[in-house]
Amino acid sequence: MPPKGKAAPKPKGPDTTKPSSSSLTAAAQPASSTATNNTTPPATINERSQRRVDECQPYEAARQKAGLSGLSQAEQFGWVSARFARSDAAARSRLGPKSQRELWRHVNDASLPVRVLKKKLVSNPWGVDRNGRDVGSYSPAQFDDRAAKRITLTVLAAASQAFRDRRERTKRIALEDQQNPDVVTDSEVQEEHERRREMATLRKELYGDKMPGKLAQDPEWDDVVPIPHEEPEGSLAAISYPEDYAEAISYLRAVMQNKEYSPRCLRLTEYIIGMNSSHYTVWLFRASIVIALKLPFVDELAWLNKVALEHLKNYQIWHHRHLLVENYYPSIAGSPEAVASFAAQEQAFLSDILEQDTKNYHVWSYRSYLVGKLGLWDSAAELAAIEAMIKDDVRNNSAWSHRFYLVFSNPAHSTAGTAATEPDPAAPTPIVDREVQYAQDKIHLAPQNQSPWNYLRGVLVKGGRKLGSVEPFVADFVRHLGVDDKEDVISTHALDLLAEIYAEKGDKEKADLALRRLGEKWDRIRIGYWEWRRKCLESPAAAAGGTEAGVAAAVAA
Amino acid sequence: MADAEPSLDVARHLKYWKMCLQYPLPDLYLSNETNRIALAYFIVSSVTLLTSSGPASEGSPKPLIPPEHRKRLREWVLSHQHSAGGFCGTSSLVPPFRDYDEWDFDQGTRTAEHTGLANLAASLFALQLLALLADDDDPEGAFRGVDRVQTLRWLRQLQRDDGSFGESRLQLPGRGWFIGGGYDMRYCYIATCIRWILRGDVREGDAAWVEDFNTEKLVQYILDSQTYDGGFAGSSEEEPHAGYAYCAIGALTLLDRPWEGSTAGHASRLHQGIRDKPGLVHWLASRQFVYLLPLGGGAAAESFDRDEDPVNFVLPAALGDLALDENTRHVGFNGRCNKIADTCYCWWVGAALANLGRADVVQRAASRRFLLERLQHRVGGFGKYPGSPPDVYHAFFGLATLGVMGEPGVKPCDSSLAVPVETVRTIEKARRGLLKTAGRGGAAGSLAQGLLDMGLAVRGTKPGWLAAVGG
Repeated sequence: MPPKGKAAPKPKGPDTTKPSSSSLTAAAQPASSTATNNTTPPATINERSQRRVDECQPYEAARQKAGLSGLSQAEQFGWVSARFARSDAAARSRLGPKSQRELWRHVNDASLPVRVLKKKLVSNPWGVDRNGRDVGSYSPAQFDDRAAKRITLTVLAAASQAFRDRRERTKRIALEDQQNPDVVTDSEVQEEHERRREMATLRKELYGDKMPGKLAQDPEWDDVVPIPHEEPEGSLAAISYPEDYAEAISYLRAVMQNKEYSPRCLRLTEYIIGMNSSHYTVWLFRASIVIALKLPFVDELAWLNKVALEHLKNYQIWHHRHLLVENYYPSIAGSPEAVASFAAQEQAFLSDILEQDTKNYHVWSYRSYLVGKLGLWDSAAELAAIEAMIKDDVRNNSAWSHRFYLVFSNPAHSTAGTAATEPDPAAPTPIVDREVQYAQDKIHLAPQNQSPWNYLRGVLVKGGRKLGSVEPFVADFVRHLGVDDKEDVISTHALDLLAEIYAEKGDKEKADLALRRLGEKWDRIRIGYWEWRRKCLESPAAAAGGTEAGVAAAVAA
Repeated sequence: MADAEPSLDVARHLKYWKMCLQYPLPDLYLSNETNRIALAYFIVSSVTLLTSSGPASEGSPKPLIPPEHRKRLREWVLSHQHSAGGFCGTSSLVPPFRDYDEWDFDQGTRTAEHTGLANLAASLFALQLLALLADDDDPEGAFRGVDRVQTLRWLRQLQRDDGSFGESRLQLPGRGWFIGGGYDMRYCYIATCIRWILRGDVREGDAAWVEDFNTEKLVQYILDSQTYDGGFAGSSEEEPHAGYAYCAIGALTLLDRPWEGSTAGHASRLHQGIRDKPGLVHWLASRQFVYLLPLGGGAAAESFDRDEDPVNFVLPAALGDLALDENTRHVGFNGRCNKIADTCYCWWVGAALANLGRADVVQRAASRRFLLERLQHRVGGFGKYPGSPPDVYHAFFGLATLGVMGEPGVKPCDSSLAVPVETVRTIEKARRGLLKTAGRGGAAGSLAQGLLDMGLAVRGTKPGWLAAVGG
């Protein structure tokens, strides 16, 4: 039981007005028996406080209501006694020793509070919660709940600090002993991670603190001081970054600054790539880490396959792959089996990804690089894969281009240094025949598809053959040229090639007719082009000369 | 269908660009973060294309980029400059992140750390931005603060043995210097742009002399990249692509473009070296196709997913169908054979043909209609596909295409440098300004100069008085 009035005969200084927790309970004591008693529990903490203040001054409420003269004599005496009991010693000393004794006796008898709670000067002594609400307006149950959370947070914070201290200590010891620097176990780190997540949630709930970023919460990143980017005034094209992204970049800046190549940095690059797969700096940093840590290329490639399928249109992924293969290849170059197995693996992956995005430029570029690098010229699988894709979509120009490269850049039967547009005497007749036939077969499937027409022409040039060698085939797609009403063109590309064939034979008139009909009727949108071709028939110099006059003519048109 | 010809709603486009200029771009642009400076270039370049030049007359609306802001914006651009040459692409990754660390007290220089942060594209866009943001009364000062010598040296280091260019240069741990970036014709083109902008007519022995990169090897590399069907690719091993064709032609155009007073369509001697020039024109001409509305009508549904290819390449049922006038109303451009139309290919194909002096091959009226009636968005700007929302990349290239085609309300655009023709004149003056000051105070010999340089480097900014005297 806390001391009652009797225990406080000594005069108290001004600090007596500050309620300690014990005086608060003591002061509340007489309340239950006084006029201010209220049987219903207080609805809010502020109300509870108010009641406690009131209970310290048993007759005060009545006095304020009725005035001192309105109180009964006993009440008046009680009120005066209470005032004297808590006034300072100097005031009491005026009473004389006898009166003072009587006063204390009465105070004791009536259990009058000798100390009083003063209302705090601040309007919300309990502070505000995350929504700006006065915590004093909480119900006692809510308040207790909040208090319990604060205690939990304190306990967690202490445990977290203990984790950090322990880690520091063990790290120091380990360094001194030159031992394994893995100073805390994974499960401890995991626990700490959980703990911080819980702390962050509590802080957010209690105080509305912003949830710290994923990395700020991660014990693994404690020793890194992030370098946030501050957007300067007067900048252009600022992008509203998601917060996680901004945080990640601030850590990236820090670790790049320190040239830290570590597993956690590798994970950081993965995290950023997940948010922005086009970040070329992050990819280069990742490559540096893979190389610095001598991580197995096959693992990195396996990871990359997954990322590539998630970000089909990304260019950086293929640059990274290229870089990896450049660094990996020398280690397998000596073993044909290893190269073959790697090639098969890559081909399978490329088939997968091209199935989803059949004309993806980056994938095809990589594919042609791979053919050259691994020497897949005579790979039956490579040619079969391309054939299957053309069969699937005869308009897939990417596949046609790859085929041309695969067939005509094969070092076994091509002359090094020959341009793609030049004849190559080393191109074997059977292969040229085969490719001419292949293109013609595909043209029959869709005569207005330009891909095989371009291919056919390319093969003829490469094989050093005259375009006229396919005239009967081409002419089949153009009927009654120049004959009113009867003229029919199945393919403008055929008519185009026919014009070239006529020109090749020196039949300018017919070539001109073909070009004129293309511009007039069959391919009107290219009339400017067909007219230029007609001019070239007249003077071959026009074909070579690009002039400002051309621009002027176009603008005037 | 005797519809009146559409017109470009300049005010609406300016409204779109005003939004891009004054507010942060949405996080849809996150994937462009490393080339944020490119986004700035698209915005400022477009605003310039649409704003009439000269002193503002009474009562005319305040320009979107007020003259008094230009200096501050130029300083922002210059803040991306890398001490080892070139410019970084984004403000969030510019070295040094901490002061002093990289200062070499013996050499009086920063050691070349984090060189990979500077990249080729950002460097071109930074230079173009500086010219676009030049003060009207001081075009010669537009490049003040650009480290011309270091940037040209860095450019040389980006060239590979085969003549091609990469986009950045860095040290891979334990493996020495590495030139990053694939075999991409864009880098070759950009290298020639930067060379043309900064180098100028200098001879060995001149104060402004810097060793050139190997232009012959570059020309050879480009010429060797022509493909069997006449187009150009990153190399002849790949599929031809209109963007690469533009870059190949543009690079050749710029390599022998006169330093002063020239136009993009100058008769480039280097074009004569193209092995199959008729094939190239044929290939470019073939990029045009009649745009037919997809069955089911209407433009492709609005989609923010930029990766999605809507079906906008509809084949006619019979060739004769295309003979009707109304069907040739819209002509679109694709980037590769049998691919779909996209706004930016109007530029890559149209400008490439203009550079070749063969703009007459483009079906101008119908492609203009395609841009204005199908790709122009109701909020202003151009989208990638018919019906797509606008984005700064396609909105810029839509305008630039119109600028090359001589659209009223759009300033003439230079087809090889992709900036307004008037900005090309500014570049020439700014280059002259740089060459004049070359050799002056460039080599930090004295201790005082060294200390001053260190102070400036550490502080990160230059005091106004120093900038004013050309320091």
